[in-house]
Amino acid sequence: MLIARRAVRLVFVFFVVTFVTFVLLDLTPGDPAETFAGLNATPEVVEQIRIDLGLDGSLFERYVHWLGNAIRLDFGDSVVTRGFSSFDLIRDTLPKTLELMILAELIAIGLAVPLAIASARRPGGLVDNLSSSSAFGLLALPSFVLGIYMSYVFGVKLGWFPTIVDNLPGLNDDPIDNLRQMLLPSVTLALNLVAVYLRLLRSDLIETLQEDYVMLAQARGLSERRVMWRHVLRPSSLNFTTAVGLNVAGLVGGAFIIEILFAINGMGSLVIRSVILEDFNVVAAVVAILTVAYVSLNFIVDLLYAWLDPRIRHGAR
Amino acid sequence: MAGTGNGHLREDALLQVDELVVEFPARRKQVVHAVSGVSFDLAKGETLGIVGESGCGKTTTGRAVMRLERVTSGSVRLNGADLTALDGEGLRQARRAMQMIFQDPVSSLNPSRRVRDIVREGVDIWGSERPNIDDWVAEVLDSVGLGDEGVLDRRPHEFSGGQCQRINIARALVMEPDVLILDEPVSALDVSVQAQILNLLEGLKTKFGLTMMFISHDLAVVKNISDRVMVMYLGKVCEISNTHDLYANPTHPYSRALLASIPGHTLDLPPAGELISGELPSPLDPPSGCRFRTRCPRATELCGTEEPVLNEVEPDHWVACHHPE
Amino acid sequence: MALVEPGPTGVKTAAEAVAAVDHPPADRSSRQLGVLFWFAAGWILLLVICAVFRDLLPFRDPDALGIRTREVRKFEDPSWNAWFGGDGQGRDQFARVVQGARPALIIGITVTLIGGFIGSAIGVTSGYLRGKVDTATTVVIDIFLAFPGLVLLIAVRASFGNSMLVFIVLFSITSIPGYARIVRGASFALSERDFVDAAEAMGATKRRVLWKELAPNVAIPVLSFAFIGFALVIVAEGGLAFIGLSLDEVTWGKLIAEGTGDIKDHAHVSLIPATVMFLTILAFNLAGDSIRRLYSPREVATQRRLRVEGIADVNPDGSVLHISDLYTTLHTPAGDVHAVDGVSLSVRAGQALGVVGESGSGKTMILRSIVGAFALSDVTRSGTVEVAGVDMLRAPRGQVLRTLGTEIGMVSQNPLTALNPVRRIESQIIEPMMVHRGTSKAQARERALELLRLVGIPAPERRLREYPHQLSGGMRQRVTIAIALANEPKLLLADEPTTALDVTVQDQILRLLSGLQQEREMAMVLVTHDLAVVKGFTDSVAIVYGGQVVEYGPTSEIFANPRHRYTVALMQSMPDLDLPSHSELITIDGSPPSLLRPTPGCRFAARCPAAQDVCHSLTPAASERDDHWFRCHFPAEITPVSVGAPADSEAD
Repeated sequence: MLIARRAVRLVFVFFVVTFVTFVLLDLTPGDPAETFAGLNATPEVVEQIRIDLGLDGSLFERYVHWLGNAIRLDFGDSVVTRGFSSFDLIRDTLPKTLELMILAELIAIGLAVPLAIASARRPGGLVDNLSSSSAFGLLALPSFVLGIYMSYVFGVKLGWFPTIVDNLPGLNDDPIDNLRQMLLPSVTLALNLVAVYLRLLRSDLIETLQEDYVMLAQARGLSERRVMWRHVLRPSSLNFTTAVGLNVAGLVGGAFIIEILFAINGMGSLVIRSVILEDFNVVAAVVAILTVAYVSLNFIVDLLYAWLDPRIRHGAR
Repeated sequence: MAGTGNGHLREDALLQVDELVVEFPARRKQVVHAVSGVSFDLAKGETLGIVGESGCGKTTTGRAVMRLERVTSGSVRLNGADLTALDGEGLRQARRAMQMIFQDPVSSLNPSRRVRDIVREGVDIWGSERPNIDDWVAEVLDSVGLGDEGVLDRRPHEFSGGQCQRINIARALVMEPDVLILDEPVSALDVSVQAQILNLLEGLKTKFGLTMMFISHDLAVVKNISDRVMVMYLGKVCEISNTHDLYANPTHPYSRALLASIPGHTLDLPPAGELISGELPSPLDPPSGCRFRTRCPRATELCGTEEPVLNEVEPDHWVACHHPE
Repeated sequence: MALVEPGPTGVKTAAEAVAAVDHPPADRSSRQLGVLFWFAAGWILLLVICAVFRDLLPFRDPDALGIRTREVRKFEDPSWNAWFGGDGQGRDQFARVVQGARPALIIGITVTLIGGFIGSAIGVTSGYLRGKVDTATTVVIDIFLAFPGLVLLIAVRASFGNSMLVFIVLFSITSIPGYARIVRGASFALSERDFVDAAEAMGATKRRVLWKELAPNVAIPVLSFAFIGFALVIVAEGGLAFIGLSLDEVTWGKLIAEGTGDIKDHAHVSLIPATVMFLTILAFNLAGDSIRRLYSPREVATQRRLRVEGIADVNPDGSVLHISDLYTTLHTPAGDVHAVDGVSLSVRAGQALGVVGESGSGKTMILRSIVGAFALSDVTRSGTVEVAGVDMLRAPRGQVLRTLGTEIGMVSQNPLTALNPVRRIESQIIEPMMVHRGTSKAQARERALELLRLVGIPAPERRLREYPHQLSGGMRQRVTIAIALANEPKLLLADEPTTALDVTVQDQILRLLSGLQQEREMAMVLVTHDLAVVKGFTDSVAIVYGGQVVEYGPTSEIFANPRHRYTVALMQSMPDLDLPSHSELITIDGSPPSLLRPTPGCRFAARCPAAQDVCHSLTPAASERDDHWFRCHFPAEITPVSVGAPADSEAD
């Protein structure tokens, strides 16, 4: 069955990605054992630490060792931040990154779907022309450029939002302040996605609108709204759904840059810091978690896909 | 129906297809039985019409003869040489002697190339014994009714569907093929244009001494162009005969149902509803015995257990049926 | 691969939509790049000139500190002295931006060439060969997409340093999957087309097919994507610079990153390079998009609009369908298409009218004009369309919708596309009943079962739960008929209902339609290209040519005594089962007329064997001869070769 095949492929992706990362990190100059031991450690101490950290043995053995621990969420200790495990560090930073990404995705979908429908109803009309050209412009704005514009206009000139996220309260503790601080970064991250989603969904909607069954639905005297929501939207959302899934990997990269720009202490800041300080346990942990997230999200997209299009469910396509 | 048997094959045929089987792998280890033991032949200068509804295997048969599909078993002999044994370079060489025209005249032409290059393609690949290729190309284009000087430098999208089909025919004719396989060559065209192409083919047959395999779902078109006609159903041959006898005296229940279904026909047949019922069975799991038995009003127990073999009911008229009309 | 931005994967999907191969444009006039392209090209050219001739042009040294030269102050605002102002160390920001154009262009061009070439080669090969090669390619692309590119970049940079070469290699590798995906998709679509089969059948080697048949067709999509890919490289470098991992050289990303700390007080330091980067990316995207338009015609160039002109006339005899002097014009970029050109027809209850014409004759547009469904186009209708006493052109919207829903049933040409692929049969049948009649779901379901039985579908309970793709073509057409009958309409419109079906199925469907029409006393319009189809199933026939009805009359009369030269020619060009094999068919020369620029006089004059001068200048008026009329100056007098026996012998 298609779904099963996709699942196998995604698991395969997980192994390859984590293994390649492992190899790449291994190639990087610098010895984590020495870093951990500190400057004054004797070679014997370094050697002992190497064994303690599981850094002896062949590359493949170490990968298997690491993978075995990783399944139990044990990614080893942070080499730099003494006394903390890699998992601790991730647990502290993950919620902020996650909030940023989820907010961005919600804003993007919330803006893109109605805009795409409005555009597709009257292609070449005012809404369509405005939103299409804005989307084209947004596609040319990398998130860091857009972020600078946003914080200049809304942070510096208008003063509505802080330009830097500072002392972010938890979403449960003070949702208002939390959202006030996170809104600018999320919108910045979202706008790029809006452009992508809007263009994709609009052109698929327009294509569907020319199908026979839509013409027949109109000829049956159904209202325009009913035709659009009941007959057109679902068959048009296949590519859009794929894009949402595929974009997650890119979204993570974008979120990391936004974190730097707005000084959010999230996973992006953590991983970049860890790379520069050669804290490879943390880097490997982040990669593993990101890959699992990507793989499971895409599996959900596949399921969604099958729900959206019964032809896929029955293997007719 | 579901006729196997090759008693009808002739000694002196130019192209001989014997017990051709084409199967495709499907999901869950199933097999699509597209063509199941089809035998026929073409004498030099003859036009064989292959007729049947969608799913009968007529197009697959044409493509398999052309070796565009993998042949599961059986043989295709051209001038005595077995093409099914060939592969790779040998196959490529053998294809020279056969050319094919496809259903969609526009999609068959590369949109980015000029008519000159499209029509010359075969010569560019194979070379030609003719001293002046440009003259030859011009002559062929002229004989398909595209003699205008300006045609050569234009691209396919500047032509109508009928003109595109003429270009396709010219491309095939430049190669001076022994056998021309035409897969639904006029079904994408309007009635008035269809008549032009049919007349053109008829003229070219004489001029170039063509031997043609004409695949179509349209019984009237097939009657007009063919010397012999083969009726197929679900990967099997039902009836094969000279054209006159088939239309004057259709004997297989399926042939009769097909003819009776033609709107406005004047043949002496009962209404189609009395000759055929139900839906086409899946080619994944075709019925045992005669494949038509599930829809045939004349079917008996014998039809389920024993497959009928092509049998000569009158000279040059073969039918695979236990209970022919 | 996920680089550092939502851009790469994000734009990739959009660019895929952008670069998907479409049909070539129908006419060449649309092959223009447009003014925006030249703006974009101008900006790119300016960048190239600045980057190449930087040393020859009178710009300041980008690294000279203001404290030494005393020419530019720290954080100086933009002015004539320093166009882009000064940075935090008094360096001339304009000189630095120009300097930054160099690495952008060098990396961009090399990466685009390397990545584009390798990616396209992989894509075209896997799209054409398919099978295992293709599976392997897609798995690798999947992995690249899932890979946290940031980590790769960082690790490689840490291992191999941050020289230009490392960046070029790195970006090239990461850009390959993008090209491969797009080219694979395009080649996959192309190799479905018959010309690839035709080339193989001709004996072309695989290599020849790749180079001669596929490569030229993917070249323009690749070129179009190359511009967008170029922009992606600039974005990727900027992202890396932003997290402090870029080249040692001055790059735009670096300039932006350096300036962000001072955004509160000296915004220009980061805003200006950011804007230059934005404009550059915009220019490349615009260029790519303009090139795309060359091969994919603008999807919809017109606004969707439905206009009505003129005033309605009176329906004299209470026909269910009354069309009078109907003109339907489609306003397209190429000009006005006169799809329906002064058509008058009417059908009484229990009567069936056949509308016969070739493709492009406007016959389908007559039906569309009745229901007012034109997909996405700008349409003007004038004249009268009255259905069951309701003026379909001018009545209030609600009344028109109700009439459509309750008085009209429609069956369209292709049963494979007539049903919504993602909705169950049940929801599609019960919808019109629930919407227009307020029937409860349970009642509607009961009625749906009844309808399915009525149109001859076995096991209706099971069918209700199924999706369209689980049914055969003939079954699907039966379902469309069931939906059309759901609200017991007075008028049944059938647009080529059997063209896509096999001949035995066609017979069944025609008998079903005709039986239901007579039994329920419906008025029916049967549109077809096949004269034989109307013969046994209609009471009257209208022959349509060039948007006009050229002949109209009782079916038996039309077949026995056709008068218009086109009708005669159409009948003669049909292969006839009664004629012996190899009979020469009488053909109509030339091809059907353009509805875009109708010729004066008789529409058929250009192809008519009997045409005289007057036919080319004067439109023939409709003759009145009982209820059989035609528009011809020189009508045929003799009875032509028959296309079979009269209609009444059909039923036995």
